[in-house]
Amino acid sequence: MDFSVLTDHLPEIAHGFLITLLSWFGGIMLGAILGLLIAIIQLGAGRWVRAGLRVYIEIVRATPFLVQLFLLYYGGPALGLRLSPMAAGLIGLGIYGSVYFAEIFRTGFLSVPRGQIEAAHMLGMSPRTVIRRIQLPQMMVLILPALTNFTIVLGKETPILSIITVPELTFVLTGIGSETFAYVETLLALCVGYYLMAEFCSRLGQRLESRMGRYLGQQSSGISSERNTAGART
Amino acid sequence: MFDLAILQQGLPLLIAGLWNTVWLSALGLILGFMLGVIVCSLRLSGRLALRRLGGAYVSIFRGIPLLIQLLFIYYLLPRIGIEAPAWVAATAGLALCCGAYFAEILRGGFITLPEGQIEASRLLGLNEWQILVRIRMPQALRSTLPALLNEVILLIKASSLISVVGIAELTRSAQNLAASTFMQLQFYMAAAALYCVVNMTLAVLAGRMEKRFEEARA
Amino acid sequence: MTQTSQQQVVLEARGMSKQFGDHRVLEDINLAVKGSEVVCLIGPSGSGKSTLLRCLAFLEAYDDGDVFVEGELLGYDRGANGRRLRSRPARLREVRRDMGMVFQQFNLWPHMSVIDNVMEALVRVRGMKRDEARRLALEVLDKVGLPEKADVWPSRLSGGQQQRVAIARSLAMSPAIMLFDEPTSALDPELVGEVLQVMKQLAEEGMTMVIVTHEMGFAAQAADRVIFLDQGHILEQGVPKQLFRAPRTERLAQFLQNYLQRNEIFRDDGKEGYR
Repeated sequence: MDFSVLTDHLPEIAHGFLITLLSWFGGIMLGAILGLLIAIIQLGAGRWVRAGLRVYIEIVRATPFLVQLFLLYYGGPALGLRLSPMAAGLIGLGIYGSVYFAEIFRTGFLSVPRGQIEAAHMLGMSPRTVIRRIQLPQMMVLILPALTNFTIVLGKETPILSIITVPELTFVLTGIGSETFAYVETLLALCVGYYLMAEFCSRLGQRLESRMGRYLGQQSSGISSERNTAGART
Repeated sequence: MFDLAILQQGLPLLIAGLWNTVWLSALGLILGFMLGVIVCSLRLSGRLALRRLGGAYVSIFRGIPLLIQLLFIYYLLPRIGIEAPAWVAATAGLALCCGAYFAEILRGGFITLPEGQIEASRLLGLNEWQILVRIRMPQALRSTLPALLNEVILLIKASSLISVVGIAELTRSAQNLAASTFMQLQFYMAAAALYCVVNMTLAVLAGRMEKRFEEARA
Repeated sequence: MTQTSQQQVVLEARGMSKQFGDHRVLEDINLAVKGSEVVCLIGPSGSGKSTLLRCLAFLEAYDDGDVFVEGELLGYDRGANGRRLRSRPARLREVRRDMGMVFQQFNLWPHMSVIDNVMEALVRVRGMKRDEARRLALEVLDKVGLPEKADVWPSRLSGGQQQRVAIARSLAMSPAIMLFDEPTSALDPELVGEVLQVMKQLAEEGMTMVIVTHEMGFAAQAADRVIFLDQGHILEQGVPKQLFRAPRTERLAQFLQNYLQRNEIFRDDGKEGYR
């Protein structure tokens, strides 16, 4: 094996890595914002809106991410939606992520005791203030393990963007591989790269959890550390 | 734009693709499950080295994206002199990956069993093998069934990735049809609908089992 | 609206009823609470007293009849055709702005320190400046006897202290009427006294209060009026002396009898707790 292929193409690889990080981060942001919106709407909306969201969630959950990407990127133009590979990739990750984020946020919202919300309402707080000041800060600690976990899952979906020619890490490295026939070296580099990314993310999540747990005092940290071991990657 | 006749003509090919998806997934599922049982027993074994080995397996195959694993197997096997058809490599890739997930689910089922039950069984004179097969296995399987079924849905979705190595499963069939007819939206929507049919059926089944299980517990 | 002759009535229910599914929990409740009046709601468990209180706060939507807070209809708006519609959240907030509530489970926010619990609504709802809110919060904490706990997490406090903080939190908004939903039921017996003490003090200062309670001793001492609820009806009401000494209905006599017996048995045992 000759790993000089990697050093020879370092600038390209670095660029691909940057695109991977960008799409990962962008996908998380978009997915989390959409997911939070869905969860909030699910809390207060009427029956038909809730049913509609349910259908959206079930469809996105039941179809492979790759097919969703194809629909967006190749199917979009038929509806007048012409997207660059990167835009399709970001939106795809966002949509795919939104349903999982929505479920995570929904369980989070339900975990805050009803009475605390009633107390806030009786003190005159608006629903928005209640979400922002009472529910979100408390549930963040509880859902942090799930959020970290799904962030890693989403990161592992980003190589699929290479299939619609987004020039991210997998696209660049497999490209180099087929140019130079150094398949093994480039694929090994991919394995190590993605593994380290996931590992880094999981460590970061654990550190964040223990810090937030401390901040919230004993009661809540007990719950979160229990959750932590249940959701931890091994 | 919307030509129903062409869609109708393409349908048999899509169904054939769906069939490939289903049986390749099933094969991956069976192999993956067996692998999962082995890895799980490694992880629960008394020997540290074996536990480490199992842990490393799970960590690697869950840590690396499936697409990379598939590409790796596809390109590596010929390099080390194994000339396997693409579908074999693909199925092996699916099985290796979902084996790691199955192992973790099963482990969860085993470690939540109360220790008292095992002790009681020992006192009653059952040997370790009997305890495993008669006492622990049935309970662990039953309690993890919903999670296992959920994993099957994930597996079917993941099997769309083997289109990359050229196997005409559902996604690939849709891709071929979309490219040759220029009806991209329609064929991808049709493929998505077929995935929905299969996976939602499984999801309903999983939901029902979970409910039944909870009722049995209550 | 129609309240000109009863200006001093703070809270009023007229012909109010509530049902959960097929079960009618409250039936034709008529109740008017005047300024500075202390009303205790008593009754066996399942009699509907907590539901009544929650309907008076519109934490549960009542079905028929009306509830007025200082003359304003609570929870509903009159539509153009006489039909009534649920109020928008902003309107609901406005009607119950002068209403405070204290819950059985305290419902403090565990992610905020004691003082932040008290300040939160002052800042977010009243729009007060933080230092001004802090001054007021310390004042009410002082009133409930917990000025030194301002910067402590709620989870570090005893149940009695938590409930006093909850009272302070509600009090800080200077409500015209306070509702108490079994404020001492979740407390260990030795902690009940400190909470009742604070409530008595509030009553003496002229706070209008509606209290659902099992503490008959407190009701007898502090209430201006005791209301006995049974199976969703107001069965009897009056000044405590009359109600407790000479119950007019068999149900109330029996309820009081049970209560006395239960307490006597434990007094004989010499045990402190009754749980």
